[in-house]
Amino acid sequence: MQDVSLGNVFRFIWQAAILWAVYRGSCWFVEAVALPLPGNVVGVVALFTLLCLGVVKLEHVSHAADFLLRHLVFFFVPITVGLMEWGGVFKEYWLELTAAVVVSSLLPFWLVGFVTQWLHRRGKPCDI
Amino acid sequence: MTTPLLVALTLAAYVLLRKLYLRRPHPLLNVVVLSSAVVAAVLMGLNMPYADYIPARDIMTFLLGPATVGLAVPLYRHRGLLRLYALPILASVGLGALTAMLTAGGIARLAGLPREVVMSILPKGVSIPFAVEIARMYDGVPPLATAFVVATGTLGSLMGAVFLSRVGIRNPVARGLALGTVSHAQGTAAALEEGEEQGSMAGLALILAGVFTAVFAPLAVWILG
Repeated sequence: MQDVSLGNVFRFIWQAAILWAVYRGSCWFVEAVALPLPGNVVGVVALFTLLCLGVVKLEHVSHAADFLLRHLVFFFVPITVGLMEWGGVFKEYWLELTAAVVVSSLLPFWLVGFVTQWLHRRGKPCDI
Repeated sequence: MTTPLLVALTLAAYVLLRKLYLRRPHPLLNVVVLSSAVVAAVLMGLNMPYADYIPARDIMTFLLGPATVGLAVPLYRHRGLLRLYALPILASVGLGALTAMLTAGGIARLAGLPREVVMSILPKGVSIPFAVEIARMYDGVPPLATAFVVATGTLGSLMGAVFLSRVGIRNPVARGLALGTVSHAQGTAAALEEGEEQGSMAGLALILAGVFTAVFAPLAVWILG
């Protein structure tokens, strides 16, 4: 937040509260109907739907969402610190893990690109 | 007493390394990796077990859920693109997400890795909040899942664009979708460097890949046994 005025802080708090409510609501829903999906994934779909239906307006959440997304990687730091307990796995399996990461990146890279280009070429011949 | 200090340490590491990254952006200068390495080094230097860090971690990740839900905002802003390219987006991102899971999990499984490691590598192509939750649902380990996510993102942002050119993928929509599907936010940053269209498509793909990976995870877990 470049401009830390009291008004901006309050706006951030109540907008974050809306995001929090959608998140908690989605987690609750997932548990209630025993859906095999994470609450945060359902939360994204739920908020997207609410925005499309006009129940939630973009300006009701965009200030908090933009700020939180700009610093999204901050939240990953404390989780990643947990790796200090898992060094052994990498020492033991580094070759297998590297192979798994490389192959499972290159193959989908090509596949996604190929399928999109193929669908494009069929639909709109002069689009490329 | 230690918890506020650990929060302050984590914040300081993040703020400083982010500043450094913004000044000299490079895929290998990863803010998450370097910040957490600093924190882990301090903990080990003080002979502090990871358990002592858990209260601080829980305070700091309190807003992660709401922040992740906020990903609906960029998705909504780009809904026009989503409608325009509905078929290629859904088909290619869906296929890509499933293939990434099956190849990563399949190789790990065939190599005889422990089950918790296999389940942690499954969602390696999606943004960390999704990957952590998906891994957790199938007895994976959140920090391992983040490690695989960051490794994939770094690989994708370093060589994704070069690889796509080499295999003849030139369409900007296709390049953006591939970078976002396979290597999430790090790939999206690389896509943005190519152009706005690539960047927006990658941004859409990274969110949708999270949704598809979560939806297909039960299938992948079932196939991998």
